[in-house]
Amino acid sequence: MFFHIVLERNMQLHPRYFGRNLRDNLVSKLMKDVEGTCSGRHGFVVAVTGIENIGKGIIRDGTGFVTFPVKYQCVVFRPFKGEILEAVVTMVNKMGFFAEAGPVQIFVSNHLIPDDMEFQTGDMPNYTTSDGSVKIQKDSEVRLKIIGTRVDATEIFCIGTIKDDFLGVINDPATV
Amino acid sequence: MSGEEEENAAELKIGDEFLKAKCLMNCEVSLILEHKYEQLQQSSDDAMNQVSQVFEKSLQYVKRFSRYKNPDAVRQVREILARYQLAEFELCVLGNLCPETVEEAIAMVPSIKTRGRAQDDEAIEKMLNDLSLIKKFE
Repeated sequence: MFFHIVLERNMQLHPRYFGRNLRDNLVSKLMKDVEGTCSGRHGFVVAVTGIENIGKGIIRDGTGFVTFPVKYQCVVFRPFKGEILEAVVTMVNKMGFFAEAGPVQIFVSNHLIPDDMEFQTGDMPNYTTSDGSVKIQKDSEVRLKIIGTRVDATEIFCIGTIKDDFLGVINDPATV
Repeated sequence: MSGEEEENAAELKIGDEFLKAKCLMNCEVSLILEHKYEQLQQSSDDAMNQVSQVFEKSLQYVKRFSRYKNPDAVRQVREILARYQLAEFELCVLGNLCPETVEEAIAMVPSIKTRGRAQDDEAIEKMLNDLSLIKKFE
């Protein structure tokens, strides 16, 4: 899910940026620093949308750098366990398939794909029901439920399932 | 892992910080990101190189999965859902997935039933009807 939240960060600024444009410099450095990053707690920072408040700067001993506490609003993407969302399938193999929901990767193991769907190899590997009516392949849109997340310093990785009511393929690129 | 109790969106356990935060539906994110992208394009020629991969992927994703395209419809969806005492998170899940039946809505947002707000099936059905009307007249 996407959220609009307020975060705080201490920004260090080199003295050469002091002057009329200090604020602008600070804001553009903030965007460069935080956009695209990911933390386990807040998820992926997609875009900074506004500055709430810039506190008083403190000069660092010895270096001349100044640290400003900056409060900013941003759009973050944070997946939660138990959340249901839509995703695009990016890769299919016999272990299961990978899907992407925005910046996050989700793996759905073949144990978590309904039992009546069988893996088919070929140049377009896919999972298909025995009657051929439903097919999951690259670029399919699926609705899935996140059942686990793994967080490391720079990435969040999710495990999903489509073995539940109202989950599975939403649209099939081959039939559209 | 954080020291907090285990999160589970189905029971609305998403941590205090996110529970109080403003959730965004895909269509709202799409409006925000498009706007920001346009601004970038105006200020420099190679806007595509300026944005992070996370931004690019998110923009593609929300464009693909936005149920409502025009800003008025997006506002209306929020207004309608706001009448039903939903948590922000529940509101956005419903807005994103647009379930068609009451059963489906409860499967998508189990907390709708469990939080003791006595959302009866009738109320949920009315809500879904209102939503589908917006979609029709968009």
